[in-house]
Order: sequence, then C-alpha cells, then structure tokens
Amino acid sequence: MRLLKNSPVGRRYQRLHPSVQRKLKIAVPFFTLGLVALVAAYFLSDPPEWGLWFVFALLFVLLEFFTVEVNDRLFHSSSIMVVMTAGVIFALLADSDALFAMALMAGVALFTPLDFKERRWFQPMANFGQLALSGAAAGLVLDLNLPDVEVVTTQVLLRVAVASTLASLAYVTINNTMVRRAVKTVYGNDNLQPWSQMNVLVGGQVVMGLLGGLIGAAYEIAGRPSAVLVLIVGVYAIGHMSLFAFSQLRESHLSAISGFVKTLEAKDMYTRGHTERVAYFSQMIGEDLGFTGTQLETVKWAALIHDLGKLAVPTDLIRKKGRLSDEEYAQMKSHAHLVEEILAEVDFLQPMVEIASGHHSHYDGNGYGGSGHTEGETPSLEACIVAVADAFDAMTSARSYRMALSQQYALGELRKHSGAQFHPDVVDAFEKALAKTGRTWGAPHVNDEEMARRLAEEPELTLRG
Amino acid sequence: MANWSPRTIVAASWLFPAVAGGVGLYSVSRATTDPFSLLVAATALVLGSLVGVATSNSGNRFTTGLAVAAAIPFVFSGDTGVDLGGTLGAYGVGLATVWVVRYSRGEKHRDVLPMMVRRFGGYVAYAVVYSGMRVGVFADLSGGWEDLVPFVGAVLAWLTAEVLLRAVLVLGPRELSRAYLARAIVYDINVFVGLALTGALFGELYPAIGWWALPIALLPYSFAHSAFRRFQETKVTYKQTIRALARIPEVSGLAIDGHADRTTQLATSIGMEMGLGPSQVEDLEYASLMHDIGRVSLNEPNVVKMGYTDDDIARWSSEIIAESPYLKGVAEDVQQQYEPYRKPGEQEDPGVSIVSRIIKVSAAYDWKVHKDRRSPLEALEDLHAGAAYEFDPDVVASLRRLLEARGVLTPVRS
Repeated sequence: MRLLKNSPVGRRYQRLHPSVQRKLKIAVPFFTLGLVALVAAYFLSDPPEWGLWFVFALLFVLLEFFTVEVNDRLFHSSSIMVVMTAGVIFALLADSDALFAMALMAGVALFTPLDFKERRWFQPMANFGQLALSGAAAGLVLDLNLPDVEVVTTQVLLRVAVASTLASLAYVTINNTMVRRAVKTVYGNDNLQPWSQMNVLVGGQVVMGLLGGLIGAAYEIAGRPSAVLVLIVGVYAIGHMSLFAFSQLRESHLSAISGFVKTLEAKDMYTRGHTERVAYFSQMIGEDLGFTGTQLETVKWAALIHDLGKLAVPTDLIRKKGRLSDEEYAQMKSHAHLVEEILAEVDFLQPMVEIASGHHSHYDGNGYGGSGHTEGETPSLEACIVAVADAFDAMTSARSYRMALSQQYALGELRKHSGAQFHPDVVDAFEKALAKTGRTWGAPHVNDEEMARRLAEEPELTLRG
Repeated sequence: MANWSPRTIVAASWLFPAVAGGVGLYSVSRATTDPFSLLVAATALVLGSLVGVATSNSGNRFTTGLAVAAAIPFVFSGDTGVDLGGTLGAYGVGLATVWVVRYSRGEKHRDVLPMMVRRFGGYVAYAVVYSGMRVGVFADLSGGWEDLVPFVGAVLAWLTAEVLLRAVLVLGPRELSRAYLARAIVYDINVFVGLALTGALFGELYPAIGWWALPIALLPYSFAHSAFRRFQETKVTYKQTIRALARIPEVSGLAIDGHADRTTQLATSIGMEMGLGPSQVEDLEYASLMHDIGRVSLNEPNVVKMGYTDDDIARWSSEIIAESPYLKGVAEDVQQQYEPYRKPGEQEDPGVSIVSRIIKVSAAYDWKVHKDRRSPLEALEDLHAGAAYEFDPDVVASLRRLLEARGVLTPVRS
C-alpha cells in the first residue's frame, strides 16, 4: 500500500472520486481473475467444435442482453441453461472439452444494452471477470465428471444429471458470491434494498442448469435434429419468461408499497419523510440483529406501511396542538388497527400488516394496537423494531407543537424506557447501528421536551438561544 | 346458446361424456397403438386436465392437459403416419373421464360444459390437422426443420377452434361480446404456446431417449407453470392494491359506501358489452376503482374550508395515481372523468377516452341510484336526457341493454 502511495500511479489513484476508487477496487481484480481463468482454460483443455459453440454463444449473449432485475441491482438471466447445454455436449464428446468453451462463452457476454447506453465501464469489466470464472469452474466440474465418448447414448443421462447439477451449483455459487461482493462494495449497505427470496432464485438457477445439461445430452443422443434445436430455443425462452415473471411480481409488490406511501404523503405533507426514515432505521436495526433477505425486507416494508391507518384519521387531529381529549385520543389510537382494515385484502402484505398493527404495542405488554398487539404479551421482535424506529424519528423530527429534540435526548428516552416500552435488545442494536453510521439526527442542544414545546410556540426564543 | 334454459344446459352437459366417450371408444377400436400406451396417454390427459396452471385475467383456464394433448400425436406416430384412431381415442375417453370427475366434484354444468366442449373441439382440430399434414415430406419425424411445420399448423388450427367455440358457447345472459371473448384468447397466447411447446419437446425427444424425455419436458413445463402463477399473482397484487386504495376514502367516511366497487362492476360490464379488448377493460377496472381516491384530500381541513369542485377531486385523484408506476396509464382517464362527452360546437370531444366516458356514465348512474335514491329506470332516463351532451350516447345505450338483460328496468308505479 505504501509503495502505491509514493508512486505516480498511486497518487493519481488517490485523486479519483471515492466511488470510482470503490469501483476500481472491484473491477481490476475481477477482470484479472477472469482473464487468468480464461488463459489457463485455453492451455488446459481441447478447443470445442466452433460451429456449434458459435450457435450457443449467440443464444447466450442474446439472453444476457435481456437480463432482468430480480432484486435491487441484482440481475439474473436464464443464460445458465445455454452455457450448460453447450458445456455438456463438449464435455461428452471425445475430441473436445467444456472448460475453455464455457469460460469463453460466458466471458464474451460482458455487455448489456445499458452498458452502451450509459457508457459504463465498471459493469462490463466486473461481469467479464465473474462470468468467465463461473464458466471455467462449471466447465471444470463437467470435464472431471463426464466420460469422453464417441457416440452419446442414454446410458450417460444419469451421470449428466448429477454432473450438471454440481456444475450449476459451482457456477451459481461463484456468480452470486462475486456479484454480491461487487454490489456491496460499490453501493454500500445504505443504498441497497435487502435481497429477498434468494433461495428461490438460486434454486431456480441450479434447476435451470440441470435442465440445460440434460437438454444438451438429449440433443446429442437424438442426432442433433434441427427441429429439436428450435424447441430448445423455445425452452430457453420459457426460462427467460419465468425470470421475467418473477421480476414483474416483485415490481408489483414494490409499486404497491410505493402507491400506499405516496397516498399517505398526498394526504399529509407533515409525515413526508417520516415513513422513509422509519424504514431506514428499521432496516438498520434489523441488519444489526442479523436479519437477512426476506426477513429484513419484511421489516422494512412493515415500517413503510406502519402509519397507513392515519389516512383514516382526520388531519386536524393529527396536527392538533396541545393535548388530545380522551375521545380524540381513542380516535388517534385507532390508526394502529385501521391499517388492517385498509389492507385486509392485500395478501402479500399480511405479515407486514401484523407487524405494523403492533408498532404501538409495548415490550411489557402494555400499549395498544390491532392483531399485532395482545394485552400483556411481548409483541414480535419485528414490531419492537418498528416501534423503536418510529419513536426515535418522532422525537428527532419537528412536530407542529414542538421542535425537534436532540439525538442524545431521544436515545436517553429510549434507554430509559428500555425493558418496559421498548425491547432492550432492539434499543442496544439501534444504538450500535446508529454509532456505526456516524450520522446525527434531530436538533442539537434541544434536550428537554418542555423547552422544545416552548420553542415552537415562541419562535423568538430560538433567536435568543 | 346464450338463452338456453338451465334444463337444456344440463341435458347438453350429460350428452358430452356420451359423445366424447363414444367417439373415443369407436376410435380406440381402430387404433394401431397398443392398449397399454393408450391407457397411459388417457390417464396422463385426465391427471393433467385436473391440475390447473392458472386462470388468466381474461378468464381462460389453462391446464397441464394441454401439454399432454399436444404430445400425444407425436408419440402415437410410426412409419405409416399418425395413429389418428389412438389419438382421438385417448382424447375422447380422457375428456369423458374428466367430465365425470368434475361433475362428481360438484361443479356446475354451466361452467363444465362450455369448457369441455372447447377442449374437445380444440384437441380434435389439432390432431386432425396434425395427422393430415404428416404426409409427403412431413411424413416421418426425421429431426429436420420440416418436423415442426405440421405442429405449427396444428397449433393454429387448435387456436382457431378455441376462438370459434368460445365465441359460440356463451352461456347465460349475454353480457360479454363475442369480440371480447375472441380477443381474450389471443391475449393469452404465450401461455398456450408455452404449454404446446413442452408437449412437442416431449414428442420429439421420446423416440430417441424414451422416458428420459419426461423430465426434460417437465422441467421447462414447471418453469412455465411458475411463470404463469407469478404473472397471475402480479395481476392479483395490483388489483388488491388498487382495491385497498379505493377503500381508503370509504374507511375514512369521505365517500358513500361501496360506490367505487359498484361503479367498477358496472363500468367493466359496459366495457365488455361494448367489445373493448381485455387490456382496455383492465384499464377501465383500475381507473374506475380509483376514480374517487382524490377524496382523501378532503381530510385536510384547509381544503374543505376553501371549497372544491368535482373537477378538483378528479385532478387530485389523477395526481395520486400518477405517482404509482403501474397506474400512470390510467391517470389521464381519471383526470377526464367529469369532462362532458362533447362541448358546444363539437361533434364529439376526441380528447376524452372511452374509458373516461364509461366511468362518467357508471359513476353518475350509481350516484343517482344509491345517493339520490332514484329507481334504475329513472336514473337511466336522467342519463338519456343528458346523452349526446354530458354522456356518450353509445355508452348509455350499452347501459340500457345491460340493465334490460338484468331485468331491473321495471317502471315504478306511483
């Protein structure tokens, strides 16, 4: 590292924008690894039959062109079927190997249309690296596990099934690990939505690989009939369609959530930002407590809808200055279970609705709420997370009747009620996670609720203070 | 068939297993395929037909049986061409059994009959065209491109038969136009082709690799299956979301109960009656569910103090909708929902979409019936009075036909 610092290259490197530095930190090693794998593969294995290789490479590139975003910044395609089909054929035939054929095929598909449109350099470089390496690994597994034969018969099909499952496992594992690493390094945790349903996606990729391998062997056994090739292309298209359907469903969930949040904001400008911040804090706490994937996403989405019940509470009540009467307080409290009434028919939100309806439920069993709250019982951990995030943001943001309080005061309040109103583990996790971000929330020096109220009522006080 | 009595329907429905079974058994007697294979094929068809893939948005129901049916003529072909007897035998016996199972499950004749007739007609068209085309250069499965020509021809014949039969076999009050039904089938063509394709893959590979063809065809089939389910779930999610949003003004007491739901039902019925395409009917459904969402703004005390008009509500609604990516398309329709059909000096206002015009009529009708307590006939007469200025005369005429079919237009004696 020191050597780099003193060299001219190092100095130039340090002048680069941090985001470019982060990208280089991934792109250069990925690209080098891919190149090394490709060159090694070239010397270690026999070349494939180029005519057939070209047909499948074309299909591979085509499918990689149509990748679908299945999670935030995570793109998948059904191309693994193609590379496995070709790989199995080359591994089985006596005069060719799969290693170089697969590494090269994966490596040539480094561009997507977006790369051209946005003139990106990072994605193609990183993709070349991870694809070539995944392809080489899968090819190696196939070469080691499949016999070289002159004429392919149905006897090998069972071995093909096993070998292509193993090879796709290798391909998918390397591919996903490297992509996850790249995305996390470049975009960081803060700007990344949790990746949900990864087991479905990864499992789907492995099954696609298995199918691709079987198709390759079957195509060879049947004597490479062109009619079957046409049908095989149809199968690839079906694979693509299934991924596309996955992304559509995901998009529908995301836009449903954003639809609700937007409606809430349209009604009450005051809460603008509150929902997003509570979601941000909740995700932070969840990550610190070791939540991942779908579980983390559930907490985040629950936080996004937690105040939806307020849509049915009159705005003048929400903004009322001063204390509420008993009747008004009861009406205000109803927002915790109105969210259930509004979202009763939305199936995919039911787990989140239960969390959201418990966000005013206390750790010791007091408080109020809908199905997420049972008198005298501790609510779910997820509900406790949203409760802490909600309370913290309520204190550190301005209200119509008081100024924002300081972060120090808000954390003090959380700690004071930890074990009674708030879940102690969640409060601890929140403090830790908040310290890690290094950001401060709320107005500095407003360390007293009464003072905050007075400041809001008599703005001239702020001038003096 | 639209005005068949329930008894005729039951009789026709009972006739189905007799006809299909009869055709099946007669064909079996002329089949060249061995009885065991016939039994396997018929059983696979029965099991497949009972496993539903998805009921699509436009009301088509797809089953695994389609893929099985597509594979059978491929498998039942030898040097002398396709064994049409065996194929039709498997279809006839299989579908007759499916009818029996569905009847014993307690499904209504009204639902079972048209579906089974359509399936049988489609399968027979497919098999006949396929075997008819397997002559000359297409006679044997050589593995070349020409293998697929009979398949493509047969699938087209199948699709045509489905469209025709679906248009003819409308049971019950004729609220759906034939144009709508025909377009609905073409709308779901990807599902159909996906299923037929996995069947053909099995058929092409079976001679070479035997039963190994089954997993190879089943895997893409399962992908297709999950894709259709997800597409369906996507639609359901959108619909549920929109319904939930539409409920908000009602939960907050800012709109009359059920107005959005009733308006939507009426509007989509009118849309189908007028022969709009499935995607337009979908737009209509979304737009009419959301047409009053802007009323949530009435929760804001300042807004109520300042006063507002219907146009304001329409504008707020469309502003809220425009924020959701999947509703952007209908934001314009919602914005125009209170625009009159034409303005002075115009033949008609070309800027107002048919969706907006239908919503205008349906919402006004529902308002008159449920808020102003008018009888259906009076409400319709009010709309007639405004037709050709406020309301689109075509939409009002369609509403009249619909109400007549439902028999609610009895004059109130005073």
